[in-house]
Amino acid sequence: MTFWLTLAGMVAVTFGSRYAGLVRRTELPEFWVRFLHFVPIAVFASLVTPYLEGDLGEWGIRVTAAAVAAFAAWRTRQLWVAIAVGMAVFWLSRIPF
Amino acid sequence: MDAHTSDGAFRRGFLAMVPLWLGVVPFALAYAVTARGAGLSLVETQALSALVFAGSAQFTAVGLFAAGSAGASIVLTTLLLNIRHLLYGVSVGRQFDLSRRQRPVAAFFLTDEAFGVASGTGERTFSFLLGVELSLFITWNLATFGGFLLGSAIPDPTELGVDLIFPLAFLALLVPMLRTRIELGVAVFSGLLAFGLHRALPGGLPVLLTGIAGSLLGAYLTRHDPPPESHPDDAVREVA
Repeated sequence: MTFWLTLAGMVAVTFGSRYAGLVRRTELPEFWVRFLHFVPIAVFASLVTPYLEGDLGEWGIRVTAAAVAAFAAWRTRQLWVAIAVGMAVFWLSRIPF
Repeated sequence: MDAHTSDGAFRRGFLAMVPLWLGVVPFALAYAVTARGAGLSLVETQALSALVFAGSAQFTAVGLFAAGSAGASIVLTTLLLNIRHLLYGVSVGRQFDLSRRQRPVAAFFLTDEAFGVASGTGERTFSFLLGVELSLFITWNLATFGGFLLGSAIPDPTELGVDLIFPLAFLALLVPMLRTRIELGVAVFSGLLAFGLHRALPGGLPVLLTGIAGSLLGAYLTRHDPPPESHPDDAVREVA
């Protein structure tokens, strides 16, 4: 299989996954409306915990930075403030004293 | 919604993604360097960013190309990594008022980050969604191009620690959504489940399985409550 044939397959399965849920707006029973309300909550949580640890043994300062970022997000509701505060805590903690 | 009457919405969507650029650019650079090292041409490297547009799948595919893997196994791995977008599509399809022609466009550019930023803000038009999506697409593709040209002169994003920006961003999007004890409980349950599953399964599957399990739990626990409403006041505020 050549590169371009493989690429075509990758495009097909990726676009297929993205489009399958979006293809039409469906009227849903109430249980599934409730289900969809929780999708961003469950998905966002699952995109946080596995990636906090990192590959360099810095889980302590990374979790601390995340806790400070969560507090900043709660107080300000500003995405960029939370990221900036969290990264500032992380990078400052990395400086060896 | 007519695109010509909502230029402001596109611009606001585009700017809402800007805080994530700092995280995206180093990864696109690193991807391009890895692809070049694996023997891909500039056109091939760029085609993956422009047509597949899925960071983790692109990184994995490049590694598999370098290892001489069969095309079929690369396509199957891509499917396992990207099947989680099914959930995002269903959610976005209900949150946004999209015409039949807008749906495939919105789907083509849909990513974790776009789903996060689009769901976390209050706007619900196609123009806003497209602004969010293209903000990431353009940045990802320009950085891919730059990374291929600069080659190995680029520092490793993990060494820089900018890989932390992604969990921080999703945490910042999550926190304002947690208004009830059940919502908080579902978030804690999902975080623990994903942490456990991540050790056993490839990249995209823990997100899909956790998304389904956490949402089922939430729907079950709220089965006697009145139907959920949206709370735009609780969404993350936009950048500009």
